[in-house]
Amino acid sequence: MQGNRACCEGALAAGCDFFGGYPITPSTEIAEMMALKLPKAGGTFIQMEDEIASMGAIIGASWTGARSMTATSGPGFSLMMENIGYAVMTETPCVVVNIQRGGPSTGQPTMSAQGDMMQCRFGPHGDVATIAVVPSTVQEMYELTAKAFNLADRFRVPTFVMSDETIGHMREKIVIPEKVDIVPRKPLLKGKLPFEADEDGVPGFAEFGRGHRVHVTGLTHDERGYPDTTDPEVHEKLVKRLYNKVESKRHEIADYDAVNTDAETVFITYGPCSRTVRQVLHDHPDECIGHLNLRIVWPFPEETLKIFANAKTFIVPELNLGQMVREIARHTTGEEVLSMPKIGGHIHTPAELYAAVEARK
Amino acid sequence: MKLKIDERRCKGCNLCTIVCPYNIFQEGRKLNERGIIVPVLDRPERCTNCRLRHLYGRQLCGACQMICPDQAIYWVEEDPYSEESVVIEF
Amino acid sequence: MTTRVFEKWYREDRLPHIFCTGCGNGTVMNCAIKAVEEMHWEIDDTIFVSGIGCSSRAPGYMSTDSLHTTHGRALTFATGVKMANPDLNVVVFTGDGDASAIGGNHFIHACRRNIDMTVICMNNMIYGMTGGQGSPCTPVGKISTTTPYGATEPVFDLAELAVAAGANHVARWTSYHTKELTRAIETGLATEGLSFIEAMVQCPTAYGRRNKFRKATDQVEWMRTHAILLQKVRRLEEEGKPIPEEHFAVGEFVHRQRPAMGVRR
Repeated sequence: MQGNRACCEGALAAGCDFFGGYPITPSTEIAEMMALKLPKAGGTFIQMEDEIASMGAIIGASWTGARSMTATSGPGFSLMMENIGYAVMTETPCVVVNIQRGGPSTGQPTMSAQGDMMQCRFGPHGDVATIAVVPSTVQEMYELTAKAFNLADRFRVPTFVMSDETIGHMREKIVIPEKVDIVPRKPLLKGKLPFEADEDGVPGFAEFGRGHRVHVTGLTHDERGYPDTTDPEVHEKLVKRLYNKVESKRHEIADYDAVNTDAETVFITYGPCSRTVRQVLHDHPDECIGHLNLRIVWPFPEETLKIFANAKTFIVPELNLGQMVREIARHTTGEEVLSMPKIGGHIHTPAELYAAVEARK
Repeated sequence: MKLKIDERRCKGCNLCTIVCPYNIFQEGRKLNERGIIVPVLDRPERCTNCRLRHLYGRQLCGACQMICPDQAIYWVEEDPYSEESVVIEF
Repeated sequence: MTTRVFEKWYREDRLPHIFCTGCGNGTVMNCAIKAVEEMHWEIDDTIFVSGIGCSSRAPGYMSTDSLHTTHGRALTFATGVKMANPDLNVVVFTGDGDASAIGGNHFIHACRRNIDMTVICMNNMIYGMTGGQGSPCTPVGKISTTTPYGATEPVFDLAELAVAAGANHVARWTSYHTKELTRAIETGLATEGLSFIEAMVQCPTAYGRRNKFRKATDQVEWMRTHAILLQKVRRLEEEGKPIPEEHFAVGEFVHRQRPAMGVRR
């Protein structure tokens, strides 16, 4: 199955019932597949006039209780930023799939890259905290897309599936599970205000048309949802809560594989680079090379670095000029952090990565 | 029925003065406690809705209420025993 | 007993609203609510959606579920709401800048799709909330903060644009013509497909003040005297006579039954 198709299947298994999209290489197959399958599954597919509109439509649909999703690539992702910020502020659960391609601008539409890793975290203006999952296989594309819906609904944040052209267009065998766990949104309880957070920092969801009479606004708002744009305390309380409801749960959210935890040289990868490292490990079974594959990169699971107690060097191959390596360097304590950037559309070869290990010996 | 202007809402734009067919609303001259010059009512008993609402059993005219951007114009049911209509003079 | 007719549709605790003295938006809100009331819609089944700007603050004062979205994008959010749950009644409040400048693309596509909702555009010919900058609807020669020597760009005729783009019901009235505006909105609410109602409103603070309307009432008077019925405009056109300067057409531009999307199941 193709990666993009696995993404659709995962979304459908997770109960996605609204898709608003706009065609863009290399994510178009997702929209095509959704147009084919979603109406038959009882959902709604709509092709919007641009990515801004797609993002708007899925936020609107989400407020009627739908599990909504859109798929795009670099240029479209940039267009969505304003409404992603709106989704953060209004705590609207939604899933945005970004099949990354070479940038900036139109760049390399048919080539692979991971240049949007920082944009998905810091793209919208203001202080935001979001969740990003990164699949490294077609199987993971299926599982993580489904998981993204649950994370989005649980934390009421836009959740990104930050895949790339390599995985999106790759065909692999996958095992489709009998059933995918669906964790529904927590509804707003009687007597609670629509933006009054429970203990976990997430308020119950006041679905439209259920008599909650909620006012949803992107302005700084109080717990009733009414705008209050001049009180510094209201703004601080709101934005800190929106930030902490995700960032304070990074341990719970974290999802990763750690191999050879006693190694001195450790690869930290996400997405297609993990595949190359797996090949390196496979080719050199006698050597102790550590590998940390991150399936969720935002919020960054900093405690995972401590798993490698003997680590002296972290090697971070990425399909960009070094983005996540900065976040990793920020959390290391004395270990050497080596960035292995690569752009142009091809992924690292096992030989390139092994040469870096050799050089550390 | 009795025509009223809600002084807590009126912002003194005087739009009501241009729509009333009887010219009941007149530009005011006195500032109220919110610092707004609220229009004054000139013989409000002439108002169609005040006089004939009960006869017809529905809202009549209502041009002032519709144009009032601040939702300040309304009618109250006159109760012969309420304080509003009983003026005690000493 | 008081007769505040549509009080149940307003969030009492939010009034008085932030609109300036004499702003026509409050009048249009009254008309919209009266029309919704006449349709006997339930508060819980009705959603008001808006973008950014003066006009777009309106849903915040209404006691329904309401969505105050990003600048120009209200129609996209409304599309999502309506397509995901066609049983909801969707009304969009927008302004001239919101609908025609930043949201122009969404506007024409919403008309083309003919999604079953009502769009009420409060056209005050200016960007009011940011302090009176020229909008695509600022008439030629008029002063705004970004057109200090008079606007030079031709204006958008939003109603004609909506007709061309395919909306099922298009009408234009002013905030003076409350009865007609209410009836036009009511027809719009009852029409399947997209209904676009352009309400010309006065903006005494940002527009009138700079354009020789000393009082809000002056501009309302101007709108009353400069609005000509569409039928008369068409007649003048047929006779080859010019339309008097600065006058604008009011009335029902179109009422038709093109196939619509998102109609109640």
